[in-house]
Amino acid sequence: MDQERTGRPRARRRGQGELEVQVLSALRQAPGPVDTAWVRERLGGDLAYTTVITILTRLLAKDAVVREKAGRSFVWSPTADEAGLAALRMRRVLDGESDRQAVLASFVTSLPPGDERMLRELLERAEEPGE
Amino acid sequence: MGVFVFLPLVLPLTVWPIARLAEQHLHPRTATVLLSAAAGVLAVCSTVCLVLLMVVGTAQLPGNPLPDGWSDEEVREAVPYDEVAGRAAIPALLAVVAACGRTLWVHHRVRRRAVRALTGARGRSVAVLPDGEPYAYALPAGRGRRGRVVVSTTMLSCLGGGERRVLFAHERAHLAGRHHRFLLAVHLAARANPFLRPLRTAVSYTTERWADEEAAEAVGSRRAVARAVGRAALVSRGTGPAAALARFAAAGPVPRRVAALLEPAPVVRSWPPVFTTAGLAAWTAAAGTTVSALSSANSAVTLFLVLKAATPL
Repeated sequence: MDQERTGRPRARRRGQGELEVQVLSALRQAPGPVDTAWVRERLGGDLAYTTVITILTRLLAKDAVVREKAGRSFVWSPTADEAGLAALRMRRVLDGESDRQAVLASFVTSLPPGDERMLRELLERAEEPGE
Repeated sequence: MGVFVFLPLVLPLTVWPIARLAEQHLHPRTATVLLSAAAGVLAVCSTVCLVLLMVVGTAQLPGNPLPDGWSDEEVREAVPYDEVAGRAAIPALLAVVAACGRTLWVHHRVRRRAVRALTGARGRSVAVLPDGEPYAYALPAGRGRRGRVVVSTTMLSCLGGGERRVLFAHERAHLAGRHHRFLLAVHLAARANPFLRPLRTAVSYTTERWADEEAAEAVGSRRAVARAVGRAALVSRGTGPAAALARFAAAGPVPRRVAALLEPAPVVRSWPPVFTTAGLAAWTAAAGTTVSALSSANSAVTLFLVLKAATPL
């Protein structure tokens, strides 16, 4: 989301979402809190150290991981699973886009106070036997 | 040509009463298709009209790149109040282009971001996300990707087994019917001409009704759909941006949907008879759209001929 504005190439942007998932699943397989080097090795070691740090920091900003100081560096542990991460990211989309109605058709829209009373009356009618 | 050149700009007003009648009396599928088509045609006509006015307006400006002949007396005679109308058309057209461009851009951004958010979520056609907010959305299919139903665990936990079936049937109906295309069309139309905004509201409602009817057919009970929609609305009350927009007089879309589901099923007719309210609505909408299309076609052809005559070759 943040890189969208800095205008990096599209392929890389798409990769970041998948990398977040990979880093999170690596952390979930870890025996306990692990450091960045462990995560990097787990992912095959072909990613730059700074890239792994960047992704971990992004996950931290989304509350999907926590970190604590261990000596001179940080150790990381997951707080969410893959579905949880997707939920956190989806929430950002839903909260951030006020103009989303044309794309995402919602099952129900929220109710103004007057509608709620009317709806409860209608639901009482629906509960009556007759079908 | 006279004042008729302005007709396409104001003819969208004829659809205001029609939108309401159509959403109440026509089958939601017919209403969605009819209203979206009317919105599309009227929006295109009104934009064509703006372009013609802008051509005349721009041709008067000193240093414009258009042929000098285009600001001749005879061209200007074709458009009444050419000075005011021509100049006003330039910012109006720019505003329309900017607004439509923004709508398209936002549409693609929301889709892209939603798809990216769902990387790693399991399930090919349904993504269940652990979230404290109750929500359910249909994310349209895209390049090489199937459409997906996105639903939060909280929403599922608030609904019984039968109600969940309704929810999934409803969202699948949105995806199968490609309702987002109708919604995008009316959103763009409303940007092209603000008089078309009631059509946007109407189509947002009729697509939901359409999906409700499909869900009712899938689960075999209209009452079950009414209950599911009502229950889901009660658990998600007070969330989302629409909560701030309290409606004072008219009932909001959800109670109307539930009420419609408690009524007998709407009849599917390809075209309603003329001497009913529904028929009158459909025929007036069709007539208004045709007149608008004809008058803007007339304006376009006339102005084209005038400009062609005025251009020295």
